Amino acid sequence: MVVQQLSSPREAVARWREVAAGTGPADRPAVERAVRAAYRAAGLAEPSAVLWFGSPLEAALAALALRGTAPEGLPLGPAAAAPATAGVRPGGAVSVREAIRTRPWEAARERVHADLGASGWAELWALTGGELWPQTRALSGRIRDAVLDRLAPAPTEDDEQEVRDRARPARAAVRLALLDGVLGPHDAPWLAAFDAVGALGALAPLAEIAAGAGWWWPYEGVALVCERPTELHRDEAGRLDRADGPALAYPDGFALHAWRGMPVPPEFLDGLAGVTPERIRAEENAELRRVMLEYYGYERYLADSGAEPLHRDETGVLWRIQLPDDEPVVMVEVVNSTAEPDGTFRTYWLRVPPSTRTARAGVAWTFGVSEADYRPQRET
Amino acid sequence: MYRQGDVLIVPVEESAVPSVVAGLPARPRDPRGRLVLALGEVTGHAHAVVGPGELRREAGPFGTAWLRLPEGGRVVHEEHAVIALPKGWYRVVRQREYTPGAVRVVAD
Repeated sequence: MVVQQLSSPREAVARWREVAAGTGPADRPAVERAVRAAYRAAGLAEPSAVLWFGSPLEAALAALALRGTAPEGLPLGPAAAAPATAGVRPGGAVSVREAIRTRPWEAARERVHADLGASGWAELWALTGGELWPQTRALSGRIRDAVLDRLAPAPTEDDEQEVRDRARPARAAVRLALLDGVLGPHDAPWLAAFDAVGALGALAPLAEIAAGAGWWWPYEGVALVCERPTELHRDEAGRLDRADGPALAYPDGFALHAWRGMPVPPEFLDGLAGVTPERIRAEENAELRRVMLEYYGYERYLADSGAEPLHRDETGVLWRIQLPDDEPVVMVEVVNSTAEPDGTFRTYWLRVPPSTRTARAGVAWTFGVSEADYRPQRET
Repeated sequence: MYRQGDVLIVPVEESAVPSVVAGLPARPRDPRGRLVLALGEVTGHAHAVVGPGELRREAGPFGTAWLRLPEGGRVVHEEHAVIALPKGWYRVVRQREYTPGAVRVVAD
């Protein structure tokens, strides 16, 4: 098979960008058909059961039960019992991820590489997968870490030696169970690259599963498939972001809370609406304090604390907030040059290094140019 | 140099464009035939150039983009006034923000 010329990287990226951010219930019969097709394409017997789970957390539990490697003391719950209920014997399950995902993926990559050459492949990747990689990678990493931390919490320095000794193999067991999973929609970068040159080939069933469901775990005789999230809220930079609820939530209740990409505890958001300058100053966790400050508003905080600007010029105003036991927050206040529909000009605040001395130096730093060089002749 | 929101567009002499830029792939135009300098994930609002030319971008979220406009062009955005660019080469920089221990991209 000869791959096509780079005819549609733009369409492929648009299509798979949407898949990577997909939410809502799966079309289960269609996905199950694709799962069976994926087994057949890999030369395997179709699974006798395709089991559905509400989130990667539940599916990971079932995977641990199937593998027979659940950490001691982990309450497995109904998700882990699902395979047995469906007549699949738990313990010693054999992952077929290699045959189903890795091998056809490697074959597709080799074929495209051979047809396009090294530089052609690099170009294809830059225009397709590279566009989607940072966001999908960050999101799947966050989900993976959250599943790991809930099933096998990381020990702290205060924990007894015995607790720490138990945590290490428990976390390893969960990591291994997660490695059996196929990332479905979060494989979008690769699928976009192959799709752009018409080289999905044997990966077509995987592409269909990715477009219709969440993560999934192929084992000999049984496949575990996750629903997609019910909620996914991101900011313009693609980071998880929501102030009044989970930024990512699954139908079974598994959820991640985050503010502009920063993970926060769920109860933290509840208190955010009533946050005061005193509470901000009293918060010991520097990252949470930053979230509180951003939410409360730098402008309001500065007004409340009677702060005086450090410096002011035609690029903006430089402010500083002193915090106990922490480096000061230094920000430039910049005014948008284009009026809002109501005729006002929106102000925004950008944090800059604490060593910044002038507003121009601050704005120049945000663009990586020197203070002397930063001279825009037109701004909108 | 020109600033449209969180994007800075800096004119550069053709002789000052690094040779590696020629090896970077030319970015495809969007469905409206524009060169997209920066795209908002949620709103889909874009800083985009209308006019003939090409855009090449280094990899990574902070990768510098290089813009060649043989006849000049116009930079448009849903929430910002249009900026007219004379013909020539430009370096396009996304605004970033300081965070202790890290740096993050600004999303306006």
